Amino acid sequence: MQPTRALLGMRFRKLRLTTKDVNKGFYKGTGTGAMGRHTKYGGYIIEWDRVRTYVCPDLKDFKLTPFVTKNVKPTYGQYETKLGPKDPALYLAKWKAENGLD
Amino acid sequence: MATAAIRPSMGAAVSRISTMSRAQKPLQLACRRAIPASSSRPQPQQQQKVAPISTTAALLKRHTYVGARCNKDMNKKRGESALSRSGTRWRLSMSDEPLPKPVPREELPKIVTDENHGLWDFFRDRNAVAATPDEDAKHGRGWTVEELRHKSWDDLHRLWWVCVKERNRISTANYERGKSVLGFGEAESATREKEVKLTMRNIKHCLTERFYAWEDAVQLAKKDPEVDLSGKGPAFTPSQYLEDEVPSKQAQAQE
Repeated sequence: MQPTRALLGMRFRKLRLTTKDVNKGFYKGTGTGAMGRHTKYGGYIIEWDRVRTYVCPDLKDFKLTPFVTKNVKPTYGQYETKLGPKDPALYLAKWKAENGLD
Repeated sequence: MATAAIRPSMGAAVSRISTMSRAQKPLQLACRRAIPASSSRPQPQQQQKVAPISTTAALLKRHTYVGARCNKDMNKKRGESALSRSGTRWRLSMSDEPLPKPVPREELPKIVTDENHGLWDFFRDRNAVAATPDEDAKHGRGWTVEELRHKSWDDLHRLWWVCVKERNRISTANYERGKSVLGFGEAESATREKEVKLTMRNIKHCLTERFYAWEDAVQLAKKDPEVDLSGKGPAFTPSQYLEDEVPSKQAQAQE
């Protein structure tokens, strides 16, 4: 007996976790979540407030594309503080500069 | 003796028997009864085509007692043979109706489609089977996070959906390419999608960052004397602005 080829060249922890690698009760799922509940008779009731709804905004006259021209060099931010763009003071200052309405 | 009498070659023997002594008459009668049974066997009308070639003995014995076993012939295909062209035991369903003829494509009614249907967005060019790799390769780079930081929520939301539509278009093209087994354009399509995914990833990065900054800014604003988060009156009262306003008016009056 020898281990599968996948295990020979690779470390086990690097492999994808499956139900065979762990004990009972492991639920892998797909990360999608439920959209209803099971009944005790084996049926399934869809709860419509749990069903995902995707709202696409009006894309008319929207000029941006997923791409930026390669003629523009990619820019990276220059921030004085260590927190950088996550600095709350910066956020507040910007909010005040925009008249603090919202 | 009875089985031998069934054979046609035994006809001469039978005629000889008839000339024998009276003591042998019962046997002769038995033979006479056997001969016509072999030459013209009565057959039901429905089974005329089927030649019973089965060598299995007929289940003739009747069982009439209580709980008797069934004597039915369980072989539904008994006697059917391709070699002797027996045909089937039942009639095959057939009809005299003429077969329908295919209508030429020109005579078919034209399929009406909506020119402005939303599903057309899944194709870059609705008249082409697939885009050439050169066309696919004509794309820029993805957006960087810093570029997206200057965009509003609405812009980022719409840009996300533009990305989603672009990815739909790419995967439709991938499917079409696989369906027609074109064998080219995969690499170009993959790099294109990679850039779109980079933009989407950066949109998420930007929004998460903005949310974290907002959460912290709310805590900071509670300590800020200029900001009133109670919901009564203006949220922001700039102290600097009021101080500037008063001296400037005085200055104007002095002039």
